[in-house]
Amino acid sequence: MSNKPTEKPIPSPPRWLLAFLRWFCEPYLLEDVEGDLTELFERRAENSPTRARWLFALDVVKLLRPGIVKNFAFVTTQNNNAMLFNHIKMAIRHGLRYKGYTALNLFGLVVGLTSSILILLWVNDEVEKDQFHVNADRIYQVWRNMYQANGEIITTGSIPGPLGEALANNYPEVHEVTYYSWELELLFRLDENVSYEKGRYVSPEFFSIFSFPFVAGDPASALKDPHSVVISEKLAEKYFGENWKTDALSKMIKIDENQEFTVSGIFKDTGSQSSMTFDFVLPAHEYIARNEWIKSWFNGGFNIYFTVKPGADLAAVQQRIEQEINNNTDHAADERLMVLKATDSYLHSNFKNGVPSGGRVQYVRILTIIAIFLLVISCINFMNLSTARASRRTKEIGVRKVLGAQRRTLGQQFLVESFMITVAAVILSIGFVLLIIPYFNGLTDKQLLLDFTDSRFWIGICALIAATGLLSGSYPALLLPSFKVTNSLKGTIKQSASSIYFRNGLVVFQFALSIILIIGSLVVARQMNFVLNKNLGLDKENLAYLYMPQDLANRRDVYKTELLNIPEVKEVSFASGNPLQYGRSTGSSQWDGKDPNAEIEVNVLMVDLGFLSSMGMEIADGRDFSKDFASDTANYIINEVMADIMGFDEPLGQNLSVWGSKGKVIGIVRNFHMQSLYEPIAPLVVAYNPPYTSVALIRLQNDIPKAITGIEKVTTALSPAFPFQYEFMDTSYAASYRTEMSLSALVNIFAIVSIFISCLGLFGLSSFSADQRSKEIGIRKVHGASVPGLVMLLSRDYARLMIVAFVLAAPVAWYYMQQWLDNFAFRTDLTVTAFLLAGLTAFVVGALTVSVKSYQAAIANPTRTLKDE
Amino acid sequence: MGKYSIGEFEEIVLLTVAVLYENAYGIAIKEDIETRLKRSVSVGAMRIALKRLEKKGFLTSEFGEATAVRGGKRKRYFKVTPFGKKALEEAMAARQQLWEAIPSVAFDFKFI
Repeated sequence: MSNKPTEKPIPSPPRWLLAFLRWFCEPYLLEDVEGDLTELFERRAENSPTRARWLFALDVVKLLRPGIVKNFAFVTTQNNNAMLFNHIKMAIRHGLRYKGYTALNLFGLVVGLTSSILILLWVNDEVEKDQFHVNADRIYQVWRNMYQANGEIITTGSIPGPLGEALANNYPEVHEVTYYSWELELLFRLDENVSYEKGRYVSPEFFSIFSFPFVAGDPASALKDPHSVVISEKLAEKYFGENWKTDALSKMIKIDENQEFTVSGIFKDTGSQSSMTFDFVLPAHEYIARNEWIKSWFNGGFNIYFTVKPGADLAAVQQRIEQEINNNTDHAADERLMVLKATDSYLHSNFKNGVPSGGRVQYVRILTIIAIFLLVISCINFMNLSTARASRRTKEIGVRKVLGAQRRTLGQQFLVESFMITVAAVILSIGFVLLIIPYFNGLTDKQLLLDFTDSRFWIGICALIAATGLLSGSYPALLLPSFKVTNSLKGTIKQSASSIYFRNGLVVFQFALSIILIIGSLVVARQMNFVLNKNLGLDKENLAYLYMPQDLANRRDVYKTELLNIPEVKEVSFASGNPLQYGRSTGSSQWDGKDPNAEIEVNVLMVDLGFLSSMGMEIADGRDFSKDFASDTANYIINEVMADIMGFDEPLGQNLSVWGSKGKVIGIVRNFHMQSLYEPIAPLVVAYNPPYTSVALIRLQNDIPKAITGIEKVTTALSPAFPFQYEFMDTSYAASYRTEMSLSALVNIFAIVSIFISCLGLFGLSSFSADQRSKEIGIRKVHGASVPGLVMLLSRDYARLMIVAFVLAAPVAWYYMQQWLDNFAFRTDLTVTAFLLAGLTAFVVGALTVSVKSYQAAIANPTRTLKDE
Repeated sequence: MGKYSIGEFEEIVLLTVAVLYENAYGIAIKEDIETRLKRSVSVGAMRIALKRLEKKGFLTSEFGEATAVRGGKRKRYFKVTPFGKKALEEAMAARQQLWEAIPSVAFDFKFI
């Protein structure tokens, strides 16, 4: 072959299509046909390679016709198609002949599959979160690790503002940078339409880094103007009515009562596929211009996200950025920066020692495992029932063998049966999933749905059918054809000891899995109970709180007096935040003898008089603020953790300065939880500083609804411009554990489902064995055996299996639940009770299932069972 | 007719092979039919027709030399056999006979 160098290389057709063609084409024709197609392709490719590839594919498909397709072995060697039809026919007949057995099999599989599909939908939704951003692979978030004097590392996403500019200007690898603020709740006003909305400050680059789709306006320029606002579809409809699509853009809207902003864009509601949620965004540079503090390297502020240029070296960014804060603050405290992929932060949101240590991903893993458990348990049912009932079919197997069936064909037969049952079960399950999904969404707070147009859904379903069919059909397909012809025709199949052991092993395995799930659900429930009822160090019952708008805060003394005039209001005090979710901190506190190099991040809560008593907090030592001491405005109360850190034998009376304002420690308050129970209690300084308070905490008594109407009246009278909004401390606290609660509900439900499926299998097995032993029972009865004795006899074997299952399950459950509980800084212990309870539940339910059938067998009249033979 | 059973498409292919003479290989046949008769022909349909004709003994084929184009695959050149020629003649004769048997008034559509 002469190979003259040509100007441009000759394009070649897609290799996989060629491989496909070579596979199916008759060898005699192949060379010529392939040559013809390639020649056609080469000619077409001169004009348009893409079109040529498509036409090539079309040609290949057109070749799939008799005469061109070669004779495949399976088509010719045996009458396989006929056998396959025969197998399907046999499966249908057999299924209809033993209706109860088929129903049991189907039912178990349907329950298992339905649960698994639901869980997998949930898991898929979690994993897909935030993946819709076009640049998802290139978006990174900056995190700050604060190395504390006590060796702990606090990780936070709030980053000093100047870092944003440093990233944009000094890092050649970085493409675009955006700020992303804490959640704002601002008052929107358009004519008569007034309410609070939630949103964020972000940079103009935000919408080119993240791909939130726009309905109107230009994402690239939407936030350039400092007086612009971008709102969600929902808000647009709310404020501009039905014709918002045309009306809203470029209109003015008043935000926070002092400034008009122009609507410059409308985005689609952030929805469930995004972990970032906001109904509006305002330009961050406008906020930065107004606030000096954000321009300091010493204060955290916005979250910072950036994209790297394609192919840029992230490691270089990683290395340079680490010391960026320390270099700019002259190592005032050891704070190092790190860079993590932004789209990972939803699932990996917990940090331990400055590195990600799980988060929701743990729940994703747990539920994936549960889904697999449930599927396996229901497949085991199928395996057990079909092998146990094999003796019913020994004659059929024998006859088939005599007529020349090979082992392989018989195996195929059982596989066909299991696949048919599986396909039927999957179809039914999809129906059930459609029915259940609204309730499941309510429980999990999601908007899951079955998307029949999605190819991945069909791939998933096919994978599920293949996995279930193979798993449940493989063992019967291996075992049953191995019976000896002579024995099976005589009907005297003694199942080998190993197959009985195997079956028992499967039952043990099923119940072990169920027991693990029950233990899990009990432990989770106990921990949730502990969390919700834990003494938090303050009394959260009958406590309402509301954020005061500025005009109300300006008249807080009048407000307090007015509130206290309501008979149902017991006490009122003000603070700078919700004490159960508090996070305003400083590293700048000083006291005598403090190690100057040690960084200690201290929370600072500003309150007015009577705060401790109205919150039901306990004073461990010293006294509360009092109006009898004029100097108290400069003094501090600290919590026990802070007292330990300061390390004085007598902390009362010591000098303490916070944010440069000097005072003395006058009291120590017992620790209360300022953050979630995942976190240890942080050091706290309480300062008497009413002008900085923004939350009104109102202790109620007697008639709560009446109290609320009273409060509303007072509040709207003093602050007519603002809508009245309040929350109860205990409900908002419970809401912060919503993920855990819904997880715990899920685990509960699926534990019940698993024990249910296991029992279905057990029911089938025990009824079968009672059936088989009916003659033995008859003879025993004739000889005077009692009914309880017979029930015991039939149930004993299963009881033993249950105990083995428990012994196996307990250590595994202990290990994993210990790990889960370790996530909480405040946790319950694992108790023996939970284990015993779980074991007992499984045992009792199992025993009941078995004894139903055993009892039926035991009370049967022996003349009936013994009459023939 | 029985001895030389040949279909309409097969006849066209066989004739084209004869037309192309020394150059009758897959794509050439396909394109010749396409340009001459203005009908599109798929590679598969043509291949099957050729295969059948060869089986019936109307055609013989042999591979040519390999070249750099066509992915290095050889062309299979077809040639009409004397038997094939006879079949074509038979088909033509059959038609001819039928044409001649048509009464002259049959195609006289004026009065209908």
